Amino acid sequence: MSKRFINGSDFAAMVLLGAEYLQRNAERVNALNVFPVPDGDTGTNMNLTMTSGVRELRSKPSDHIGKAAEALSKGLLMGARGNSGVILSQLFRGFSRSLASLEEAGATKVAAALQHGVDLAYKAVVKPVEGTILTVAKEAAKHAVQYARRTNDVVELMQEVHQKAHEALQRTPDLLPVLKQVGVVDSGGQGLVFIYEGFVHSLTGMEGGGYRDSYSMQTEAATPEEVTAPSAAPALRKHEPLSAQSRLSTEAIEFLYDMEFFINRKLGGPKLAFFNESAYKKALEKDGDSILVIAEEDIIKVHVHSRKPGDVLNLSLPYGELTDIHILNMREQHRDLLEHELSDVSTADYSAAELLAGQSVQVTPPGQVFERAPYGIIAVAMGEGIADIFLENDVDTVLSGGQTMNPSTEDFVKAIEALSAEHIYILPNNGNIILAAEQAAELSERNVTVIPTRTVPQGLAAVLAFKEEETAERNSAWMKSAAEQVVSGQVTKAVRDTSIEGVDIREGDFIGIKEKTIVVSDPSLAGACRGLIGSMMENGGDLLTVLTGEEADSAETASLCEWIAEQYPELELEVQKGGQPLYPYLFAVE
Amino acid sequence: MLGKVRIVTDSTADIPSEVRERLGISTVPLKVIFGEETYLDTVTIDPEVFYEKLAQASTLPTTSQPSPVEFSDVYQRLLAEDAGSPIISIHLSAALSGTYQSAVIAQSMLEEEADITIIDSKSASYGFGLRVVRAAEMAQAGESKERIIEAIEQLERDSRLFFLVDSLENLQKGGRIGKASAFIGSILNIKPILSLDQEGIVTAVDKVRGSKKAMLRIIELLKQSFGDEPVSVTMAWTSHRQTAEELGELIQREFNVQAMDWTRVGTVIGTHAGLGTSAVFMRRL
Repeated sequence: MSKRFINGSDFAAMVLLGAEYLQRNAERVNALNVFPVPDGDTGTNMNLTMTSGVRELRSKPSDHIGKAAEALSKGLLMGARGNSGVILSQLFRGFSRSLASLEEAGATKVAAALQHGVDLAYKAVVKPVEGTILTVAKEAAKHAVQYARRTNDVVELMQEVHQKAHEALQRTPDLLPVLKQVGVVDSGGQGLVFIYEGFVHSLTGMEGGGYRDSYSMQTEAATPEEVTAPSAAPALRKHEPLSAQSRLSTEAIEFLYDMEFFINRKLGGPKLAFFNESAYKKALEKDGDSILVIAEEDIIKVHVHSRKPGDVLNLSLPYGELTDIHILNMREQHRDLLEHELSDVSTADYSAAELLAGQSVQVTPPGQVFERAPYGIIAVAMGEGIADIFLENDVDTVLSGGQTMNPSTEDFVKAIEALSAEHIYILPNNGNIILAAEQAAELSERNVTVIPTRTVPQGLAAVLAFKEEETAERNSAWMKSAAEQVVSGQVTKAVRDTSIEGVDIREGDFIGIKEKTIVVSDPSLAGACRGLIGSMMENGGDLLTVLTGEEADSAETASLCEWIAEQYPELELEVQKGGQPLYPYLFAVE
Repeated sequence: MLGKVRIVTDSTADIPSEVRERLGISTVPLKVIFGEETYLDTVTIDPEVFYEKLAQASTLPTTSQPSPVEFSDVYQRLLAEDAGSPIISIHLSAALSGTYQSAVIAQSMLEEEADITIIDSKSASYGFGLRVVRAAEMAQAGESKERIIEAIEQLERDSRLFFLVDSLENLQKGGRIGKASAFIGSILNIKPILSLDQEGIVTAVDKVRGSKKAMLRIIELLKQSFGDEPVSVTMAWTSHRQTAEELGELIQREFNVQAMDWTRVGTVIGTHAGLGTSAVFMRRL
């Protein structure tokens, strides 16, 4: 099959099939969409743009390729949607201008028209970005211009264009780091390749069959579902329904270190921090993705892509000894491909010994210096729920402890040394623990500030006042003042008969403690809670937080909330699972 | 003698229709796409209807900028009316939408050389709507293009915006969460105080717990900028006016408010901000 010239009808047939391929694969293209905004609508937008082009082309059928291309161009411009749609319209606007006066076009003219389209598109876009549909179109057109010198067969030329576009598409992740991070090719570029594929199959008469197979490789990782095409049924793959977008926030953070290691709990010494898998994962998520944590008895396997491998290791140290550590710089491959930025760094696979030799691990790739994080926060807490809340709000390490089990000065020192941070805050969250924390701060040569929080609610208020971008002095001041503005309350069971500050207490009664003072003693938990909350609300408040303990039951909590809503209709109420022992409820009024 | 300056904007400026008509502002609508249905922002779908639909939708609608042709049609119409009139076209933050891009292409598509100034507001909703309104007032009074552009730039420095969302979900799903992404998925009911930064990207200025505290924090932040100076305020909301009203009352009490207006957030911004969003736009007089 060869063709020396294509006319308006040939062109229309090409466009129709191109549009059809695009339409069938619109969802696949959507799934790839992570740039410039990961909103998953590139396929939809390109398809709607193309549909408008086809409508116009159909309404003005012509054997004159200039006229046919002009109709398509007009339709595309009218229907252009989304960035890729707009760029598509510009590509064909240039294409049609170049062919405007021609009845039919040979290989040289088609190649020149493709190039003209690329030129116009680059001019039209305010900030052209490489690794997108622009690059795919550009490389394909450039190749077309060169190849047209060797052939006068339009079919062969379009096959080359399609092949080159396909190759350029595969390289988009090397040019646009956000694509690499998520593991996808560019969505708009993929859309264009589908269109070119339609062009080729229309010219060769090979419609439909098997066309999708050439794409299964590059898109399989990111395809949420097989959308169409019964032709691909035998090759149908079942994938985790994870779209490219869901793995990415708009700010394209490059988690370039691929890390894998084990945490061995048996080799960790006697005073290990308790391991809460979900909290640990959350801590990793702060600065990483592709996270996999498999905890089996005493061995925890960890896989993560992170920007700060040192932080990941330090974060893991309190849980045990780290073994079999592998770290790989994923950006290297990409860097090697960028001709102008060749670097001679060979391998980034560090041995465990090298990593653990220093107090903190600092990997310095060329041109970029990794520094210690400005801040680290250590908090003391009992209860998984409370630990989770702390960990997801900027706290790096949670030491297990509370009324009955206090972390030692040494525990604090270890936690401090494990953190790679310029300035470290400690939130003791218990009056009896402040001293040990302060001693540790004195012993350590690092910058450590103890925010003397006496209760968990005070600690929570303090972390929420913390701001990564602020100075240490301001953070200290804000955290302290935030802690002071909270009224804390806790309910627990009395262990003996006594009388304190005029409150008669019987063993087994529930006592309500506001700050350091017992304000109520009542045989029922509900009574103690109500009395305590009443006392806490004496000076008003906007927000009441309830942290439910191990011993709190949900019916009790529900009826307590009902009472609160009735008693204080203006008050915002937030109930969280704290999971703390001994104290069925902790309260905070702000 | 040059003709009067013409002002063009897009639908996300959230300028009430009666103001647009009175001041002769040409507005190009963005699009909101619910499955197979495409609507023109606030033109072919009323916000009231839209927010009800949004509340029931299982998947979020997508949004799209106007096509270049939709812009060039408007420019051509204005030029046909009076070829000598300069056009100022002010648009939604280019960091959030391709609308500005479309307008720029439209200009390049015009056959003749035309005097069109296209401005990326780096803002959204009435944050640039108030600039458009001021520009249109000046244009009506016969002010020159240069004076109007100067005034727009001054207004950018003299105004601030904050908004509160019920949930960050829409911003995240629509890919517009920008620098507020750190607050996604928090266990605690943390309310980020949202604004747009100098690049026009969504950013969290501060974080507090509970909506009352969030409002009080907004008051504090606005106080830092405006103190007791005379200000004009526009409040906006998507689906629940009550929260915006509460915030409006606080502002009335705390500031030297010379004028307070209300405007409904359109369907495109509403898609990304979500139900229950309230916003305040304050400017120094």
